[in-house]
Amino acid sequence: MTALRRIAQALAIPVILLLAVTLQLAVVNRAPLPGAAAPDLVLLAVAALAVCAGPMTGTLAGFCGGLALDIAPPAAHLAGEYALVFCLVGYACGRARNAIIYATGEQTMVTSLTVMALGVAAGEAGKAALGMMLSDPDVTSPAIKHVLPVAIVYDLLLCPFAYWLISLMLRRPAPERAPRPEFAQVATAFRAASAGALGAVPSLRLAGSTLPPVRPPARQEPKLRLSAGRPSSLSGTSAAFSPAKPPHVSGRAVKLNFAEHAAGTAASRPRQRTSPGKGWLRARPAAGSPALKHRPPPKGWLRAARPATAASLRLRSPGKGWLRAARPAGTPAMQSGSPPKGWLHAARPGRPAGTAALSRTSPRRGWLRPAKPVQPARRKKPGRGWLRPARPPKLSWYAKSPSSQWVRHSHSPWRSRRQRLLALVGVRR
Amino acid sequence: MHGGRGTRPVLIVLLIAAIALITLDFRDAGGSPAHSIGADVFGPVERTASAVASPFESLFRTASGRDSSEIASLQKQNDQLRAQLAQAQVTTQEQAQLSKLLQLTNAGHYRVVAATVIAAGGAYSDTVTIDAGTRAGITTNETVLNGDGLVGTVTAATGSSATVLLATDAAATIGVRMEGTNEIGAVTGTGSTLGAVQQLKLTLFSATAVLQPGQTIVTFGSVGGRPYVAGVPVGTVTQVTSQPGALTQTAVVQPFADFTGLGVVGVVVSK
Repeated sequence: MTALRRIAQALAIPVILLLAVTLQLAVVNRAPLPGAAAPDLVLLAVAALAVCAGPMTGTLAGFCGGLALDIAPPAAHLAGEYALVFCLVGYACGRARNAIIYATGEQTMVTSLTVMALGVAAGEAGKAALGMMLSDPDVTSPAIKHVLPVAIVYDLLLCPFAYWLISLMLRRPAPERAPRPEFAQVATAFRAASAGALGAVPSLRLAGSTLPPVRPPARQEPKLRLSAGRPSSLSGTSAAFSPAKPPHVSGRAVKLNFAEHAAGTAASRPRQRTSPGKGWLRARPAAGSPALKHRPPPKGWLRAARPATAASLRLRSPGKGWLRAARPAGTPAMQSGSPPKGWLHAARPGRPAGTAALSRTSPRRGWLRPAKPVQPARRKKPGRGWLRPARPPKLSWYAKSPSSQWVRHSHSPWRSRRQRLLALVGVRR
Repeated sequence: MHGGRGTRPVLIVLLIAAIALITLDFRDAGGSPAHSIGADVFGPVERTASAVASPFESLFRTASGRDSSEIASLQKQNDQLRAQLAQAQVTTQEQAQLSKLLQLTNAGHYRVVAATVIAAGGAYSDTVTIDAGTRAGITTNETVLNGDGLVGTVTAATGSSATVLLATDAAATIGVRMEGTNEIGAVTGTGSTLGAVQQLKLTLFSATAVLQPGQTIVTFGSVGGRPYVAGVPVGTVTQVTSQPGALTQTAVVQPFADFTGLGVVGVVVSK
């Protein structure tokens, strides 16, 4: 968006409000409409501005428009009444719009109109309620009974028109309105999974939703394949996400790895090396290097000392065991003598694979269950030293959550986001 | 997320500002300087908008079939008025003599300033703005009428515009006198309580006076003609609603003036 266009749009908002106030007072209020009431153009404009441009614009527009209606000549109510109500309506509409965009990744006309209609109806009711509270002689309960329903009906009738007009005036270029690619992808996958499209997504299961599926004896099939079985129409919501090249490593199944899909963008790159850990100076050892033989693998939480076949894939993985699918049974890590301790490991090697699923007691931990039944051992976090960055850099909220455990038990915003997501996908707890 | 954190302080500041405005206006009983500032700012805007919108408005009225019925009713009124004029000429002569006799020199005290309605208030309040203000000699508490009868009273006036509280507003109370019997009472607006039908409520102070549909009501008048001058026709009684045994008699009054289609009005200003 060019600067000129931005200025023009910023100027358009006061013009819209002034136009609405003038039309309201000089035309709409004087028109002999059927019924005792008239639509409130200013309220409609405020709600539409909030839905189209966000809570800040909505709040400011609500205050200014309401104040104009309060002090413009034939006003008989107290100055500031409508400013108060419209300000709240603008804020609420803007916040609701942001929440919807946040949860679904897109803004459709239906949701916008719904938010607008609710806001406008609440605004009309708020006007009446505030007038009664301030003992306005005009606003009595019989007057409200006559005016309020008619006014709301008029407002609702004009809602689509106002929305269309204002979204036309405040139209932005498409990239700014593009939905979040990561989330659209996740939602698509989960919708497909919960709708029973099991042919496309073989063994994806949401935690606690159904009975645990019997684990296949040979664990060679993919846990979640995002690239192969996906219908092409499901990716239509995202313009930014290109499904062209699935990450594919040497014939193995692709793991569910959301960081990887954003790996092409520069923003998600720091994700892969959030912390160097204890072994930060060691280079990645090749298979059979003497360093591996002499020393046990370090306990640092990015375990780099892996046999060479799995090393390349593992290093690209999100690393925190956060949406990890199972490792195939035949990897060299399983056959190695020392059982690895960390949360990067799939199954306990001493136990046969089939019994692990049955002996699972609590299927609720972890919202996308990996095939690993064992809870990862909680380890002490390495201290914040001069070598360790103080905080991992912030990316989009979905691609990296700090840890799967503390999120679940904290009051952090991550928790509510998680639960919003779970509710959206259909998992009730 | 954008707009999440930054908006809340702004919202709180604006809410506090709105509540402060309400408080100030409540203390001044609706007469805080905010209203006069608003009138100065929005008066010219409304006048322009009204001038622009008037052709469309007449078009709307024509389209909604108001004109044909209006012509018919006007012709009927014309006949009635001709008959009344003949009677009135007789009465005027008598009145002139009487007023000379009683030294009621009312005729020279008042003059009427014509003004046009340029804006109307919201759904709950029955108020209009007219395009004449203190520069034309209009001050507050002056009677507003049109060719049909009483319209209301001026509640606020700035240089180029004035706000008129219509007689149908729930906050308006007018002292009236029954034509013929000279019984006194008060007429109150019903606001929006009766839907689109603009009606007034009459309370007659005498419990024994004759009150029946068809009686005409005129204003009683106030001291110095403020806020209402005497003798302006208000409406006719359409329905008597008084309960037997009540201390006062009540009735529904149909006003003469058409409050939904106000155009040119006159303000009675004192010289």
